[in-house]
Amino acid sequence: MENTVVKIQDLVKRYGDLIALDHFSLEIKEGEIFGLLGPNGSGKTTTINCLLSLLSYDKGSIEIFGREMTPVSYDIKKEIGIIMQNVAVFDELTVYENIDYFCGLYIKDKEKRKKCIDEAVKFVGLEDFVKFYPKKLSGGLLRRLNIACGIAHKPKLIILDEPTVAVDPQSRNRILEGIQELSRNGATIIYTSHYMEEVEQICTRIAIMDKGKKVAEGTKDELKRMIKNTETITIEILELPDNVLRDISGLDHVYDTNYSDGKLSVYCSGGKHNLLRILDVLQKKELGFGRVYTELPTLNDVFLEITGTALRDKEE
Amino acid sequence: MFLHLLKYELKVGLRNKDLIIWLILFPIVLGIFFKVAFGSIYEKTEKFSSIPVAVVEEKENEAFRQVLESIENSDEPFLTANFVDKEEAEKLLSDGDVEGIITTDGELSLTVKEKGLRETMLKSFAEQYKIRERIAMDAINTAPEKAQEVISSLTSETVSSCRKIPLTQGNPDVYIQYFYNLIAMVAMFGCMTGMHITMQNQADLSALGARNNCSPVPKSKSVLACLVGSFVLQTICMVLCVTFLAFVLKTDFGDRLWLVYPTAVLGGIMGVTFGFMVGSLACVGEKAKVAILMTVTMSLCFCSGLMMGNMKAVIAEKIPWFNNINPAAVISDSFYCLNIYEDYDRFITKLITMAVTAAVFAALGFLASRRKKYASI
Repeated sequence: MENTVVKIQDLVKRYGDLIALDHFSLEIKEGEIFGLLGPNGSGKTTTINCLLSLLSYDKGSIEIFGREMTPVSYDIKKEIGIIMQNVAVFDELTVYENIDYFCGLYIKDKEKRKKCIDEAVKFVGLEDFVKFYPKKLSGGLLRRLNIACGIAHKPKLIILDEPTVAVDPQSRNRILEGIQELSRNGATIIYTSHYMEEVEQICTRIAIMDKGKKVAEGTKDELKRMIKNTETITIEILELPDNVLRDISGLDHVYDTNYSDGKLSVYCSGGKHNLLRILDVLQKKELGFGRVYTELPTLNDVFLEITGTALRDKEE
Repeated sequence: MFLHLLKYELKVGLRNKDLIIWLILFPIVLGIFFKVAFGSIYEKTEKFSSIPVAVVEEKENEAFRQVLESIENSDEPFLTANFVDKEEAEKLLSDGDVEGIITTDGELSLTVKEKGLRETMLKSFAEQYKIRERIAMDAINTAPEKAQEVISSLTSETVSSCRKIPLTQGNPDVYIQYFYNLIAMVAMFGCMTGMHITMQNQADLSALGARNNCSPVPKSKSVLACLVGSFVLQTICMVLCVTFLAFVLKTDFGDRLWLVYPTAVLGGIMGVTFGFMVGSLACVGEKAKVAILMTVTMSLCFCSGLMMGNMKAVIAEKIPWFNNINPAAVISDSFYCLNIYEDYDRFITKLITMAVTAAVFAALGFLASRRKKYASI
């Protein structure tokens, strides 16, 4: 049986009248890459700050490695690596010195520390920049330095709070691959993001948050199975008579349709050969059409169906 | 761990441009400005020099001659006599070579060309002499047996109800206080490094603070290392400042320069702890903390006379207790006591005041920064 690394029970955090976390509970097992997905202001960072005992909370309990987490739980903190949403490095120290500073907070032995730093530098691909000061680094490289500072001491639990914000695609891919490698090396990872593609790509289990509440939890497949939509078929068609649209809407497993701007979207729930049956209707009515493509449901669809709002809309 | 934290605190501090600008370059520039502005004012306008007088002896006065000789033979004679005839004396006075003519013709008379402090001093001298001469003559005429006793009492030092305060051979230049206040300002600017201790260790103030709070290092150890590091940095700044003023600008700190250094260092430590305390107590952001500290520091320096030399005297008259609790005034006063007074009583009192104040500031800072969890970040 997998060990529970993090256990949050019934957490409530209020900022005056605003409830930032509303009876939030979570359990994360050893070796997982656990994704906390939600729009800005949904409570992801508040959860992380409570988890790290930085923030006080009104109700609930937090256990890490089976022990209660408090501000003086130094033995627990020793096993945690934290990569903050805001880059936390010294502008006056070089890349190497920054990693050495943070690694030195966990590892006293100089030889061991040097080895860890070298590995961390290699891991994030900053070998050519060790003597650079942070101000000389691009946004992507700075984020990688932030990660190196957080993981150099080889923690068992790594918390990454939106580590890819404002990062170029190349650095983003490198960061995501790195996280998967850390997981393969045995670390348990908590990853918060509002980029659902990232969470979908790397997380083994996901909790979706909205307004301080956990609205859904499971693997990405489990989450997608929670919703009605299993397939969205889009067909480019110049003219679509109302009666044809009604025929398509009446097909088995089709639960919704939408036609606008020359595009017909058909939302299906379960069933097989949905596309063939729709195309069959169009051909019988002798209607020409352009490109046809189908999409499997995304986490945005899951979020949309559960909360009634698209995740992307909330970001705007 | 402590040494690891201290090492990086020093590295960060020594590479911090703000620290170099405000604690090293700014005082140097201000010191040069003060030197240019006040460097020779004292020599030209304030420093006392002997008053040259012409003495015209219409009638020989042996007693007066002896008085003049004894004055001229003293360490710092307040007048120098030039025995000439009347015509020569008038020429010297009109040419400005002497500031007065004393004529001994039965009774002493004084002629001056202008009205001023030095002329007043000459007048006072002449009148004093005339009074004493009259008393002595009266004693000789009325009670010759007591005449010697009377003359002795007239020539002996005046008995005063004031306590004698031994003074040093230090620099009496009143403008030196601007340099004392400059050092006090540098010491008080240490509050900026003190404030950064809280920025670096409180999770609700910066990303670095939050990150450091996640580490397994106890906050007390981290704060202490930062505090010690800041003391070291401030000490470097204070030593550089005093050295520059003393050896480059040739500012005369008297004959106890070796004590000016530790005094400045203690002042700097007080400045750092002041910033640490304000940083820990004020529940506002970094910019607001900087604004508070700069406003308070410059106000304290203003009250101690950095911008207006007589400000400390004004404060001493209106609210005398304030000079005893104004850290900037305490620092500059300690230099003054060191330079002026022979004994160390006042100086030691000022040092103790600084040490106690620094300890109170540090204790309050520690108490306020002990908070472990934050309501919001």
